[in-house]
Amino acid sequence: MIRLENVTKRYSSDVVALDDVSFDVPKGEFVFLVGPSGSGKSTLLRLINRQERPEEGSVWIAGRNIVDMPSNGIPQLRRNIGNVFQDYKLLLNKTVFENIAFALEVIGKPQHVISQQVPAVIDLVGLSGKEDRFPHQLSGGEQQRVSIARAFVNRPLILVADEPTGNLDPGTGEGIMRLLDRINGTGTTVVMATHDRRIVDAMRRRVVQLDRGVIVRDQERGVYQ
Amino acid sequence: MFRETGESIRRNPTLSVASVITAAVSLLIFGLTLIIQHGFDNLLSQWEGGVEMIVYVNSGAGEEQRLVIEDALGQQQGVTIEAWSYCDVACSLADADRLFAGDPLTRAQLTELNIPTQYKVVPLDATQVEILRGLRDRYLELPNVYSVQLAEEQLDLISKLQGFVSTYTTGLWIALMIAASLLIWNTIRTAMFARRREIEVMKLVGATDWFIRLPFMLEGLLQGVAGGAVASVAMWFINGRWTAGVETFPANSGMTSLVVVDGYEWRVGLIVVLFGALIGTIGSGTAASKFLDV
Repeated sequence: MIRLENVTKRYSSDVVALDDVSFDVPKGEFVFLVGPSGSGKSTLLRLINRQERPEEGSVWIAGRNIVDMPSNGIPQLRRNIGNVFQDYKLLLNKTVFENIAFALEVIGKPQHVISQQVPAVIDLVGLSGKEDRFPHQLSGGEQQRVSIARAFVNRPLILVADEPTGNLDPGTGEGIMRLLDRINGTGTTVVMATHDRRIVDAMRRRVVQLDRGVIVRDQERGVYQ
Repeated sequence: MFRETGESIRRNPTLSVASVITAAVSLLIFGLTLIIQHGFDNLLSQWEGGVEMIVYVNSGAGEEQRLVIEDALGQQQGVTIEAWSYCDVACSLADADRLFAGDPLTRAQLTELNIPTQYKVVPLDATQVEILRGLRDRYLELPNVYSVQLAEEQLDLISKLQGFVSTYTTGLWIALMIAASLLIWNTIRTAMFARRREIEVMKLVGATDWFIRLPFMLEGLLQGVAGGAVASVAMWFINGRWTAGVETFPANSGMTSLVVVDGYEWRVGLIVVLFGALIGTIGSGTAASKFLDV
């Protein structure tokens, strides 16, 4: 589903975010990206959804090299990739329902599809009854659930999550992980960058460790270390 | 899309109003330039086609009496006169419609029975003023000639005035149009910055660039159209006041045809609105494309 071949990404001549990185993620896998701050985790996620382009190497998503993809092809790529962020990136003037529906509206889904899919995903993330609340009326965990619902409502092939539990207490973080695990169970490939040792050790999924832009460990059913 | 556009305008009302006012002022000057030009064209309409002399014939003159004048003109054809044409009663009434557009009282006194008809004369060399003056003096002595008018008596002054007004008003509206376009450009940039979070989310969930751009372009278009509409209303008001003012001028003021009352002002109003739409779209379109990566 995701393949990086000899990818190098530089932000300037002396800032190398990723250095000759190669790895594969098969369809339906759950992968943790771990490593210290500045190791290249977020850059790797941004390469997957084509927010960044590498200077060298290729990035393959669902069998297509997206490095030289023309700009008019990027929206279609992103419709197949859900994004979850540490700061949720919710629209503060929209309700829970509207935030999630927004992701379908902007890609031109008809109203009857929206009114069918949004309640279903709200139910999936456990926010039934809170559809009309605004983000400031929700807890951090609930806001992250809205963010996950928005990322998943279009049933993407891949879900990338950048520190989704970073702002949450351990108990709430576990709830979010159960939700991501459940989404992964539907066949969606999940790539998640995290610093949360407890979660990684508890989930026992594939762990790719980065250090200064280089993969230093790639372990099946791994732990944080 | 309309909801997003409305929301954007509501978020930034002062800048939107400033853009509309600037667009309105520049479009008003643009519209007035066209109106003034048309007024000058009316003023000079009787001299179109190289006509440098008009021989006015008494209204009662019959065909035989006119043949005397035509014989005199014919003798000069190819010598000092290149061509001449007869402007009959209907043609002279049409000329009067334009010449006295701002003086309906005088125009009302001119009828088929009393309006002088005209011979419009194109000389071989318009710069030979002395020859033209000589011809005028000769034609004035012919029977049934009411008067003879030379273009030099009003053409030079009006042409100079037209050139002066045209140059400065054109410069002014171009400068203001650029200012309006830049202000709309800046308004859209500010609106995009205010909505950068939404734009980021839209891009991440797969919205196309056009989907993101269109509400902003529509916002600029609306500002331009609103400016155009305000300018059109102001222009019609000013034109109406000027026309009413000209009616009070004396008939020999030479200004009675410097008015636009033939429906041209409606066409200019439409042009002004369309031009507003154009500058709004250009300003917002370039900003929306340039600042999409906010």
